[in-house]
Amino acid sequence: MIRGRSPVVRSAIRAASPLALLVAAFLFFAGHNQPGGGFAAGLVIGAVVALRTVAGIGRPQDATRWFAIGTALVSVVALAPLLVGEPLLDQVIVSETVPLLGKVKSGSALVFDAGVTAIVVGLFVAVFDGLDADELGRDEVQV
Amino acid sequence: MIWILLVAHLVGVVAVLSLPNPRPAFAVALAAPLASAVWAASRLGGGETDTARLDWVEGLDLAISFRVGPLGALLAVLVSGIGVLIFIYGHGYFGGGDRRGFAATLLAFSGSMLGLVWADDVWTLFLFWEATSVTSFLLVGTKFTDSAAVTAARRALLVTVAGGLVLLAGLLVLVDVAGTATLSEMGPVTGDQATVAAVLILVGSFTKSAQLPFHVWLPGAMAAPTPVSAYLHSATMVKAGIVLIGVMHPVLGAVDIWSGLGVTVGLLTMFWGAIGALRHADAKLVLAWGTVSQLGLMTAMMSLGSGKAIFAAVSLVVAHAVFKAALFMAVGEIDIRTGSRDLRSLSGLRTSMPVAFWVMVFAGLSMAGVPPLLGFPAKEAAIEASLKESGASGDLILAGVTIGSVLTVAYTTRLVLALFSDKGGEPTEVAPFRWAAAAPSVLLSALGVVGYVLAPSVTDWVVPAAATLETTSAGYALLRWPGLDSTAFWISMGIVAGGAIIGAAAARHSSPPEPVGANNVDRLIDRTLDLAKWTTGRVQHGSLPIYLVVMALVASLAVIPFLGSINADQLHAWDRPLQAGMGTAVVAAAIAVAAIRSRIGAALALGVVGLGVSALFLIQGAPDLALTQLLVETVIVVGFVIGLGGLTTQFPANGFVWRSVRIGTAVLAGTAVTVALLASAEDTPSNREALTAAAVDEGGGNNLVNVILTDLRALDTLGEVVVLVVAAMGVLALSRADTARGGGAPLSDDVRKVRR
Repeated sequence: MIRGRSPVVRSAIRAASPLALLVAAFLFFAGHNQPGGGFAAGLVIGAVVALRTVAGIGRPQDATRWFAIGTALVSVVALAPLLVGEPLLDQVIVSETVPLLGKVKSGSALVFDAGVTAIVVGLFVAVFDGLDADELGRDEVQV
Repeated sequence: MIWILLVAHLVGVVAVLSLPNPRPAFAVALAAPLASAVWAASRLGGGETDTARLDWVEGLDLAISFRVGPLGALLAVLVSGIGVLIFIYGHGYFGGGDRRGFAATLLAFSGSMLGLVWADDVWTLFLFWEATSVTSFLLVGTKFTDSAAVTAARRALLVTVAGGLVLLAGLLVLVDVAGTATLSEMGPVTGDQATVAAVLILVGSFTKSAQLPFHVWLPGAMAAPTPVSAYLHSATMVKAGIVLIGVMHPVLGAVDIWSGLGVTVGLLTMFWGAIGALRHADAKLVLAWGTVSQLGLMTAMMSLGSGKAIFAAVSLVVAHAVFKAALFMAVGEIDIRTGSRDLRSLSGLRTSMPVAFWVMVFAGLSMAGVPPLLGFPAKEAAIEASLKESGASGDLILAGVTIGSVLTVAYTTRLVLALFSDKGGEPTEVAPFRWAAAAPSVLLSALGVVGYVLAPSVTDWVVPAAATLETTSAGYALLRWPGLDSTAFWISMGIVAGGAIIGAAAARHSSPPEPVGANNVDRLIDRTLDLAKWTTGRVQHGSLPIYLVVMALVASLAVIPFLGSINADQLHAWDRPLQAGMGTAVVAAAIAVAAIRSRIGAALALGVVGLGVSALFLIQGAPDLALTQLLVETVIVVGFVIGLGGLTTQFPANGFVWRSVRIGTAVLAGTAVTVALLASAEDTPSNREALTAAAVDEGGGNNLVNVILTDLRALDTLGEVVVLVVAAMGVLALSRADTARGGGAPLSDDVRKVRR
């Protein structure tokens, strides 16, 4: 397998990872008005996880923690309105003028989306954990 | 107050479980029942009615609703009052050890029973009905290391839960025909639908109250510790069915089959239970079968439905709760102090256990219906109710009640005589006296006498309760001395005399009996489990291709209903010519996936399919979907790279038949998806415009898809991600369990060889 054999691929993946995360962040924040969103951002981060798994370099490990963070975020956004007498999942939209960026409009849906992202990443971590243990780990033993 | 008391039970359960020291478990547990009993007792005889209601879904008439009238108060005094005594008795019975879990479960059961007798909404009633089934399962299975107790608990659970399902069906039909789920608002109903409801509800109550042929669970439940038996089979669990028949009487009493079915089954059960009680040599089993028999009489009286019969039924419920709890407690005391309950071996107990002896005598006389005990006026009322019935059916009912009562006296006589007789030889060794184990039974057997002396007061409590079920019950009373010119009195005396003779004779002969029926239920359960194992073995055989084929075939069948909704006028080949070109490319790549023998080649062709579809989305004007598809494809390619590393480079060759099956399945699945898409192609511009407007106004975003996902339909997303997390956690747990079992190695060498 690729692990331990191709320094080129490993270096490339190492270099590309921060860029990919930047793309993910862009997609995440762009999502409200342009193509993108939390799910797409999660997929990009997932791709990073996948590539780093292939290359055998460090990557997020604990899928359960990602799931926990994601579920907590979506639950908070879903349930918080109930505490103040609003219906389930009611949105709060904030408009602020921020230095450098100008007028920024956002809402609690962004937090909800962050939860979705975390859950998608958790799913990828879980899947590639499994594949890693199942397939790559064996190669390591044989090499 | 109703809420406070019910929540107090819940709080009590938590409190008992979190006690740092197990010693006061029973003392803490009895607080909530004590409060309930005192509150209910203060309302006895009064006419006031309390209600508590919490609406949940008003449109569906779903609510948690309680109503405590005279009947609710009377039953609560029995449930909670005897509950308090049971907790005291339990403390003495177990005599130490950590019983927090047991006390908490018993308290949970007590609270469920209280909710059941107070429920004013059929769904509330059903909820607590099932809660008593589950908690009683835990109680019967207290000794979960004993296989007999486990079998008995399983049997009790399956019989009562199966009955619960039948009851649920009956309640659904009933709510439909009555037009409301609130019991106090239901008027009498008749007709075919009411008949169906009546039969289903009766069957449900038969399972709970151990009527033929569902009685098999009750004797087995004697595997439970005696405090459980004394509670479940005197004041609570088994009375649930009787109470249900009672509260349904004003609604379904007019249905033709109601009283016929109830009385027939009740009297047959009374007879069969009494025979069972005569055949057994285990004192506790004698009481268990006696309970079955007594429940038969109560069922018969409650479903007979005349004013006198309902009055008799409620009186019997009260009298039975008091004397049966005392009898169980006394037998339990004998059990823990001698280590045996066998009528044939226990000897000399009359002198060594005088308290238990006198408890058994008084409670037994009450069970037999002998004055001066509370059982006597209650039994008299039942006989008088039978005398009031006219015609051949009336004669049959009278004959049934009489024969059943003779046998009741007989098994009671036999039990007391055989248990306390001197068998010759050494008297049985007896452990020291325990106050907590004896005092409650003494109190209860004394209550039998007190109840007789204060019969007018008891009447004042019972009559309003019975009158809420049947208004014509109002005129009756419990008679201490009916007079020598009363027919019922002479019948009663005849019953006592006849029964005593039979019982005295039976006390000399005890043959070890064979349990009837229970084995059949266990065999049925075992067969069902075997069948389930067999089916699982066939269906879950472990071949992934066959799973896929089966899933695809079943999913394909699901589109059949949609065939009719395809709008042929809407169909056109393409919107833009570019779509035709891209579509062709996708189809060609899909065929290539199936045709290429090289695994990596097939994976690449699959990538082409995905990218092509992504391009189609883009052409259609859905950049969001295209982006998502593109990202998913990217990740999948990496996944293939990892996954294919461990496999052969070529797909294995398949035989002609298997290949044909797969091609056929693929074509069918493809057709099905196409049909589903065509049928769901619905284009309503107004809908789209409304959504777009809503997205900008409410969601504050211009990306319609994303606003739908995170705001307008966020509930769907929430549900999806939660399901996703739950499923993923499950898979993770399962795969880790597999790894753990394999001793660290994910796959054994053998499995690897097979895979390659």
